[in-house]
Order: sequence, then C-alpha cells, then structure tokens
Amino acid sequence: MIQLTNVSKIYPNGARALVDVNLKIGKGNFVFLVGPSGAGKSTLIKLLYREETPTRGQVQINSKNLVRMKDREVPYLRRNIGVIFQDFKLLPNKTVFENVGFALEVIGVAKREVRNRTLATLELVGLKAKETAYPHELSGGEQQRVCVARAVINNPALLVADEPTGNLDPDTAWDIMELLYDINKRGTTIVMATHARAIVNKMQKRVIAIENGRVARDEEKGGYGYDA
Amino acid sequence: MKKKGDMATMLNSSGYIFRETINSMKRNPWLSLASVVTVMVSLVILGYSIFFLANAANMAKSFESELEIGAFVQIEYTPEEVQDLKSQIEQMPGVESVTLVTKEQALEDFGKTLGGSQGNIVSDVGGTNPFPDKLTVKATDPQNVKALASSLESNPGLYKVRYGQDFVDQLLKFTQWLRWIGFGVVAAFGVAAVVLISINVKMNVFSRRREIQIMKLVGASNSFIRWPFLIEGLALGLVGGTFAAVIVGLGYNWITVYVQSTLTFLPVVQNEVLFRQVSMGLLLGGMVMGALGSLFSLQKFLRA
Repeated sequence: MIQLTNVSKIYPNGARALVDVNLKIGKGNFVFLVGPSGAGKSTLIKLLYREETPTRGQVQINSKNLVRMKDREVPYLRRNIGVIFQDFKLLPNKTVFENVGFALEVIGVAKREVRNRTLATLELVGLKAKETAYPHELSGGEQQRVCVARAVINNPALLVADEPTGNLDPDTAWDIMELLYDINKRGTTIVMATHARAIVNKMQKRVIAIENGRVARDEEKGGYGYDA
Repeated sequence: MKKKGDMATMLNSSGYIFRETINSMKRNPWLSLASVVTVMVSLVILGYSIFFLANAANMAKSFESELEIGAFVQIEYTPEEVQDLKSQIEQMPGVESVTLVTKEQALEDFGKTLGGSQGNIVSDVGGTNPFPDKLTVKATDPQNVKALASSLESNPGLYKVRYGQDFVDQLLKFTQWLRWIGFGVVAAFGVAAVVLISINVKMNVFSRRREIQIMKLVGASNSFIRWPFLIEGLALGLVGGTFAAVIVGLGYNWITVYVQSTLTFLPVVQNEVLFRQVSMGLLLGGMVMGALGSLFSLQKFLRA
C-alpha cells in the first residue's frame, strides 16, 4: 500500500532528514516508527500525506505517485488519509461536534449526512455525550479522541499519527491506543511515530527504527529497542 | 475524480461560504470601509469622466452639424463688391440664405458688448474700424456644412471661414487631454482599491490560518478554501461599485436638470442606454477590482 523508493529529503537549510530510505508497508498493517528526536520520523510522516515531497526518490500510496502528483490533486489524496498530531490541532471556537463534522463539511458533504456520520464517529470514539463541549472543556485524552474522530470520519485507508500519545498520561495513552487498535482492526493501515516504549513493547507490531535519516532496524512484532 | 459532483459540492458548501464571507467582513470593519470607499471614489471619477466625455462628443457633434458658417470678407472690399459676393454665394448649391453683417454693425455690436464706452468707438479702437464685413451663410443640410465651408474657403473674396469645426477641434483637444488625466486618476485610485482589498483579504486569511491548515489537512479543495475570500473581495468591490453607481446616477441627474434650466443652449446627453451601461460598468468594475485584490493575496498561499 505504501512504498518508498530511495527516498532522500534535504531541507533548504541543508538538514538531511532522510537518506536513501526504502520501505514497504502493506494494507492493514500497524507500524511504529521509533528513533531519537530529529532522526527523521516526522519528515517520513509528512511525506505520507504530502505535506512535504522528497528531494530524491519516489513515494507511492495505493500505487499513486505522490511526487509526480499535481498540487490540485492533493486534497483528494488527503480525503483518504487521516492525520493525528501530538497537539491535537482542534479549532477552539467550535464544539466537539463541529470540529469532527468540519472534516466532512469542507469537502462538500450534505448537512444531513455530516450529522449522521459525525454522530456515528463520536460514538465510535466514545464521545457522544460531549458533542456540545468545546475543546478547552475536555481532558487531553478526550481532545485526542476528537482528533482521532476527525481523522477517521472519512473512512481513510491510511491513518498517520505523529506522537499521538506524547501529551497524554500513560493510562489515557492506552485508551487512545486501544482506539487505534480497533480502527486498525476495521482495515485501516496505521503508521505511528512514537517515543512510547511501553506501548511499542506491549503491542508487538512491526517496528521501524529511523536513525540519522536511515532505516536502522525493521522488525515484525518488534520492541522499542532503545534503553531508557 | 475531481469534476464529479462539483455542483452538489458547491450547493452543500454555499451556506458555509456565505457565513464565512459575512464573518470576515465583520472582522475588520474599518479596513472593509476603506476598501469600499476607495473602490467607490475611483469608480465615481470613472463614471463622471465617461459622462463628461460622452457630453463632449455629443457637443462636438452638434456643433459640427450647426448650419451656420461665418465668412469674413476681405477688408479692402467696397460695399458694392460685398453685395456682389453675397449674391454670388446665394447662388451656390446647398445655400439656404446669406445674411450680411457690415463692419459698421459689427463695430456697433462690439461697442454694445463693451457697454460703458460712450464717445466714438472708432477712435477708441485706434482710428480705423478693425472689423471686416461678415456673411453668415446658412446651409440647407447639416451634412453639407463642411463641404460648403471648404468651397467658401477657396473663394478669393473671403479671407476667413469659420464654422463649428473650429470649436470642435479645440473641444477634441481638451477631451483628449482630459481622457489621459482621467485615466491616470482612475488608475491610481483603482490600484489603491485593489491593494486595500488585498490587505483586507490577507488579514482574514491570517486570522483564519488554523482553520485553513485543518481544511487542507482533511482534504478541502483549494477552490473551496479560496471561495470565501474571493467572494469577500467581490462583495467589497460590488458594494463600492453600487455606491458609485448611485452617486454618479443621482449626481448626473441633478447636473442635467441644473444645466438644462440655466445653460439652455448646451446640449446634454440623456441617454437611458448609456446610463444603464455606465451603471452596469461601474458595478462590474467594482467586482473586477475586488476579484483582483483577492487573487493577489491568495496567489501566494494555498499552493498545495
């Protein structure tokens, strides 16, 4: 489903974020990206939803070439990719319902359908009771659930997450991981960059370690692998 | 993959776009006002310039078609020779009538216009009567005036032939000049209006940058993100254009009535079609300025 071929990314300031990366991620996989800060995990994530394009090499998702893709095609790619961030990126002046429905509203879905699908998705993430609350009235875990709901409401084939549990306490982090586990079980491919050792070790999923912009390790059912 | 269902998308989105447009205009009311006023000023000047030029052209035309030609007789001609010349011209084709204004009469008229002068006007103006005899030639058909005037010019008994053309030439020179000045002023205000609208839109883009970031993330198309801003620019321009059309329309109406009651000899253009065309043009001009302003500020962002 995802294929990176000889991908290098050098930022305009000369920083070499990725060097000659080759990767294949199959449909329905759950993949952890681990490695030290600044190793290139976030850059890799950004390549997947085409926030960045590689300096060299090819990125393909579902046999679509993201490098050759025209800018005006990008929105249609993103409708099939959900993105979750460490800092949630919720709109403070919109309610939970509005924040989640926003993802459908701005791609022109009819009002009634927005309503139905938003309620269904809020049910999925366990936030139906909070639909009229504003982000600042929610706990961190709840805010991240809203973010997950917004990312999956369009039934994306791929969900990418950049340290989604980075701002959460361990118990809450586990709640989010259970949610992602469920979403993965429904067939969504998940690529998640993380520093959460306990989670990676316990989940026993594929682990790709990035160091200095290169793939240092790639194991099925791997562990976090770095000492504390 | 992208054209499919665009109509439905637009329909579903129209409420959102409308709300956002109103919100953005409320966000910077003073800047919005400034944008509207500059659009208005530039278009008011444009509107009046158009009407002025239309009137100048109309005036030129009506003076061109004046039936009277003033023909000045060589100064050394005796009264008999003048009479001969007069009857000679009367015989010319296309001539309806010829009236003689003698030099004595001209002097007397001149004296009257001076008013105060009592004694001998001839001595006042230097001992000799400076005026020539003048034949006022009336043509049968306005179409013939020009041809008639040029054939009179070749008559050795006349040293100068005057008709509407003289005035028309001067008028055209003036309108040419005015056209450039008007163009310059309208262009300057137009640029200012576009810049102000563009700043306006840019500020709204900035205050909504988080929202835009998320819209891009969840796959809103660029056109969807742009529409509220584009419409905001269009709306600012259209409001300015509407005010301009009203001001130009009412103002011109008032001027027309005033001129017709005081300077009755001046022909004033009262053309419904022109009126409507100018009004529509001003509205359209406002929208074009608005659209340009928006496009300039949206050009850089929203690339991907």
